[in-house]
Amino acid sequence: MKTVQFGLAQISSKIGNVQANERQHIQVLEKLNGERPDFVCFPELSLTGYLLKDIAYEVVPQCQKALLRIAKKTKAGQRVIVGFVRQNNLSFIENSAAVMGDGKTIGTTSKFYLPTYGLFEEKRYFAPGNPKTDLKVFDSPLCRFGVILCEDGWHPEPTEALARLGAEVVICIASSPARGLTKSNSSNELQIESQWISILKAHAIMNTVFVVFVNRSGPEDDECFWGGSTIISPFGEIVARARKFDSDILLAKIDLDEIGQARRFTSFRDHNSKLHEMLEEL
Amino acid sequence: MTKLDFESRMPEELRVNVSHVVSYLVKRIRSYVLDYAACESAIIGLSGGVDSALVAFLSAKALGANRTRLFLLPSRTTSKSDIEDAKSMAASLQIPSSNVKTIQIDSHVEELAKATRTGCHDRLGVGNIKARTRMILLHSFAHQRNGLVIGTGDKSEITIGYFTKFGDGGVDLLPIGDLYKSQVRQISCRVNLPRRIYEKPPSPALWKGQTAEGELGMNYFLLDQILFRRFDLWLDEESISKQLRIPIQKVRKVIQQVKVTQHKRCPAEIFKVSFRSHGSDLRYPREWS
Repeated sequence: MKTVQFGLAQISSKIGNVQANERQHIQVLEKLNGERPDFVCFPELSLTGYLLKDIAYEVVPQCQKALLRIAKKTKAGQRVIVGFVRQNNLSFIENSAAVMGDGKTIGTTSKFYLPTYGLFEEKRYFAPGNPKTDLKVFDSPLCRFGVILCEDGWHPEPTEALARLGAEVVICIASSPARGLTKSNSSNELQIESQWISILKAHAIMNTVFVVFVNRSGPEDDECFWGGSTIISPFGEIVARARKFDSDILLAKIDLDEIGQARRFTSFRDHNSKLHEMLEEL
Repeated sequence: MTKLDFESRMPEELRVNVSHVVSYLVKRIRSYVLDYAACESAIIGLSGGVDSALVAFLSAKALGANRTRLFLLPSRTTSKSDIEDAKSMAASLQIPSSNVKTIQIDSHVEELAKATRTGCHDRLGVGNIKARTRMILLHSFAHQRNGLVIGTGDKSEITIGYFTKFGDGGVDLLPIGDLYKSQVRQISCRVNLPRRIYEKPPSPALWKGQTAEGELGMNYFLLDQILFRRFDLWLDEESISKQLRIPIQKVRKVIQQVKVTQHKRCPAEIFKVSFRSHGSDLRYPREWS
């Protein structure tokens, strides 16, 4: 068995209050010191809050300083994922994730698909990440992994690309607001929750990787994030699930041997890049 | 009519998952009032109608009876049965008597009507003064008691603009503002509010004999089906008329009512002069502090 332990920090961030959010990150890391999970994953824009509007332009310097301090709290061999706002070299801002460990920031990645429909207006503020530079597979002493951000999970390519680059675990950090509560159905799932779980399972099964989904919880302006952070195995089984709506810290172990076992019974190896060439022309 | 009968009359597409919605709204009220606004209590005008009854129920569940303050603000056009229903609702929620206050508003309304030369024949003018008088009273109580004025408007009323601007529309929070009237009644039925409250014809009671359905010329089930199809499903008027088997003029009348009341749902217009103005390109979240 090749076991990796994950800590999913399903927190409720304070909008625009980087200082308070930094404190919350450090408290979670300190609280988990005893368990010492191999990974601690925070949600999308965990350091800033999600519905930032014009604050998005104002939090960049605070984020940089907070990341330095949070990185110092990471342990040797541990990997910590934090959501923040990054300024790129063209002075545009990006919705980003920092990968930290061994007391420092190891790398960053940015969101490719910026939702701008319904309640979302990310393209108004953020520039998209560049797959050529932002699609990265990181190493931990125990596994190879990649990070995608929320809406990137609603498209097949980012997860597939990371899996083909060698990621064994794809971590999807999200800020998914609750909606569709009025839909009357017999199951206890929210409409958006059912959609997310279906998509995450599909990624895990099709790419035979572990998918780690970390969602925000709690209210922010008119919206309320539904939490429900989940780990899904390459067989599409739910390994662990956090509470809905409330903050939660979920600790769960995964067995990387399942990836090899799952790959014996899928056609993941039969990738046909000609299909992607065709997609490029569409 | 049994509860099941009531729900079975509801169009299927409007039925909600009651336990989901109630637990969600309770959580939201609690976190908004106590955490975000850092207030101590909810201030609610209780009319005897279904909307305010459900809001009082949700508030008591979210904050507790001690933090829920109910104000009965009747005028002479408020029916006796509404006042009785409001009182029995407060009692059934076990709101302490010190948290339930009744104030007859007629003397204040008459004084304002006199000062503004609003004649008693002007039903709408006097009605608006009543709604705004209630708003002033509720906000004054909220100020004294570190409370938030919890509005009782539902999605049907908000969408067709069936409220008084700066009257019953002048509130801090609208917890049931995304639920159509039919859904409010369904939830009220399922959480065991008194049947006569959720079955009575809704009325703002701004003048004698006023009923919302009478003024709208259709019942709420139909109104809600039209609004749901137009604004939730984004259907055009013709499709709605065909689906519901009603004349297209009826659909158009409702949509027109929504259009002409749009100003009621928007903040006051600011004429842009600078590069960055409120409401246009100077945008900060409500929860900024």
